[in-house]
Amino acid sequence: MTAQTATRPDSGRQQSAREERGNRKRTTPFPLLRGLLPLVVLLSVWELAGSPGSPYFPPPSTWGSALIALWENGVLLAAVVATLTTFSIALGAATVLGAGVGLVVGGSPAADRALGPTFEFARAMPPAAMVPIATLLLGYDETMKVTVVTLAAIWAILLNTRAGVRRIDQTLLDAARSLQLGKLDRIRKVIVPALLPAIFLGVRVAAPIAVVITLLVEILTNVEGVGALIAQSQRTFQPARVYALIVVAGALSFLVNAVLGAIESYVFRYRPSTAGGGE
Amino acid sequence: MQASDQPITQDAPTADRTEPQAQVKRKVTFQCRNLTVELGSSEGATCICRSVNFDVREGEFISIMGRSGSGKTTLLRILGGLLAPTPDSSVRYYGERVEGPPPGVITVFQNYAASLLPWRTVEKNVALGLEGKVGREEARERVADALAMVGLGKRAKDYPWRLSGGMQQRVQLARALAMRPSVLLMDEPFGALDAMTKTSLQDELLQVYERTGATVVFVTHDIDEALYLSDRVLVLQGDPSTIGESLPVHCSRPRHQIETKQSEGFLALRRKVYEAIMQRHE
Amino acid sequence: MSSRSRRLGRVNWPGLLTLALLAGAWEATVRWSLLDYQYLPAPSAIARGARTLLASGELIPNVLHTLMVTLIGWSIASVIGIGLGLLLGLSPTAYRYSMTSFEVTKAIPPITFVPATLLIFGFSLRMELVIVVYVGVWPVLINTIGGVRGVPGELLDLGRMLHMSSWTRVRKLIVPAAVPEILVGLRLGLTLCLVLAVVAEMVGNPAGLGHALVRAQQALQPEKMFAYVLSAGVLGITLNALFRSAASWMLPPPAGGPEGGTP
Ligand SMILES: Nc1ncnc2c1ncn2[C@@H]1O[C@H](COP(=O)(O)OP(=O)(O)O)[C@@H](O)[C@H]1O
Ligand SMILES: [Mg+2]
Repeated sequence: MTAQTATRPDSGRQQSAREERGNRKRTTPFPLLRGLLPLVVLLSVWELAGSPGSPYFPPPSTWGSALIALWENGVLLAAVVATLTTFSIALGAATVLGAGVGLVVGGSPAADRALGPTFEFARAMPPAAMVPIATLLLGYDETMKVTVVTLAAIWAILLNTRAGVRRIDQTLLDAARSLQLGKLDRIRKVIVPALLPAIFLGVRVAAPIAVVITLLVEILTNVEGVGALIAQSQRTFQPARVYALIVVAGALSFLVNAVLGAIESYVFRYRPSTAGGGE
Repeated sequence: MQASDQPITQDAPTADRTEPQAQVKRKVTFQCRNLTVELGSSEGATCICRSVNFDVREGEFISIMGRSGSGKTTLLRILGGLLAPTPDSSVRYYGERVEGPPPGVITVFQNYAASLLPWRTVEKNVALGLEGKVGREEARERVADALAMVGLGKRAKDYPWRLSGGMQQRVQLARALAMRPSVLLMDEPFGALDAMTKTSLQDELLQVYERTGATVVFVTHDIDEALYLSDRVLVLQGDPSTIGESLPVHCSRPRHQIETKQSEGFLALRRKVYEAIMQRHE
Repeated sequence: MSSRSRRLGRVNWPGLLTLALLAGAWEATVRWSLLDYQYLPAPSAIARGARTLLASGELIPNVLHTLMVTLIGWSIASVIGIGLGLLLGLSPTAYRYSMTSFEVTKAIPPITFVPATLLIFGFSLRMELVIVVYVGVWPVLINTIGGVRGVPGELLDLGRMLHMSSWTRVRKLIVPAAVPEILVGLRLGLTLCLVLAVVAEMVGNPAGLGHALVRAQQALQPEKMFAYVLSAGVLGITLNALFRSAASWMLPPPAGGPEGGTP
């Protein structure tokens, strides 16, 4: 009797867990596919109604051939590489600078007060509008691209790091000191790992901004990259290429997000997964 | 049951713990004289404690009680070398002025979630203070011992978030024990736990106390807990606060959750401590 | 402390001093050609440029054009975003049968649509408006959906317990609970609308701040360019501040209030 009552809830829980898992496996792809319906309908209508020669709305099938042509003459690959290079260098620079400055202003209220208005002022300048100035000062090259993108991406990382420093629990610092950890160990083993989630959150926010600004700079300045290729296709009236490259840009930004997401879940694998909370 | 227990635990180091007279001969671990604390905020400094005087003797289990905001945490942080009192105060640990955490003094915090490193497993959390100070082999042994002492040997590889609150607090205790501390400073360590977990952790703490012979300074707002665990209860009173009362607890060890708490001496003390805490300051 | 000296105490003197020192260093750099940037104007030259633009009547009409397009585009975007967001947030069926499409489309950086709209609408105001509306819809849409779907279950149970009709529930519980998040979306949208208006003016519609900026660049007049960029920045700050104060006036004060002190 007692054995029975003891096992019943347990087995019940196991069973429901199994069901849940089974359900999830069975149903997960469907909502995603179902949700694609409007897009599929839109593209189908476009395909059927659009004429291949349309200067505005060439059907999606023509995008594919435009893309293949771009791939075969190597232009596409060069543009993608250029865009990703600018993006990576700028995001890296923004991370180092943003985290460094964020650490300083987060840790020292005096520095925060002294630099606050300057940052507010600099942050208010729209990066898009900075592009013509940057070209005038730095020229039409990679340095200019990286500078503009870094300046646009730095704020999210700086502000998140600053907030992270302020959020560190005094108890954590006290515990480290109470355990006789030296200053270097406190930074290396406690403070940096404790700040990593905040810094990474900043990077996650900054990455899409960096992608957008990279494309923007390329569109505005025609310095090599996917954005420049889109602008050039528009200027030479090749609508199929424009649409195809828009899809490429979307794929790139999706890829960047996915890579960062994978890095995040690897670095923070100690954290509870979002699917099931701890008991 | 109790009769057969008593002779075993009453010999060796525990024997003299039950005799308050014996404590007089023991060395002074902490000596606080004219201890005054001022904490600054944006509106200027506030005086938290004024002219606090007390001693903690070696091997003693002492509890500090007082109303919320009376400065218990502040006092404990000063003993732990995490906070400096005003310059004319004197806080000494075995005769040495306390400037920074003294060796062998480990604090256990109430907020276990904030004091464990979420990116380290249980065993790595426990090893944190040992790394680079003792050899790998010894560290592993000490971690295993400490985890066994708090009954968490099987959860060594888990991350803290997988453990219940009581288990997480045990990890923090194990982390302190792995350092082989001579003094444990505990700030409401069981304050956030449910009543059942609390009582079992109290008994575990008493066992650890008997086995290690450490000195314990224990902050709590639970009168029963203070009396059940301690040799002496200090009550903070007033604003800024001072030690209003220092009450020895003459209950024999080992203690028992029901028998000790129902004994006459316990109940009389309970009333006394309650009145001391509730006393309006003039 | 008198109220005036307290107000003075709140001014961030070290911060302003740093800003002034930086401006001074910049001025010195340019005056004495410490850095080799041919087109770097000194702050004093930028101030002079701004004054010239104000006096000649070039600045204000451009600012007004950009402001107008931003506000019109943002209003349209907000209506679309909130309407569509309520639909998708309230109807699980609509959500299920379209959310992935929105997720996929959202992944495409809106900036890449600028050349496409240029292709379709040419160098026109319509092109600028379309791109401003498009970019403004997203944050409003996403936050409205999030706000509506994030309404706590207890609140919905409360509605059921009080036997509210579903329309009453939407009106009295769900929408009010979602308002703070919708407001965040609206504010983000406003910022984006302004930025994209400027971008559209730079490459497409020949009007407004963006176009003036490009013209100054072509004329190699960096002090005017800086003046236009500053104007765009000030416009952004002003719109944001206005929106914030309007929002805080609409919303009840945040919970919590002053920290509880000891009695
Ligand atoms: N950093 C600080 N600055 C100013 N006042 C503080 C600070 N920390 C604590 N206090 C104040 O000191 C008093 C004592 O705090 P604490 O020692 O935490 O009390 P307890 O632990 O007894 O509840 C409280 O009134 C609290 O508001
Ligand atoms: Mg406390």
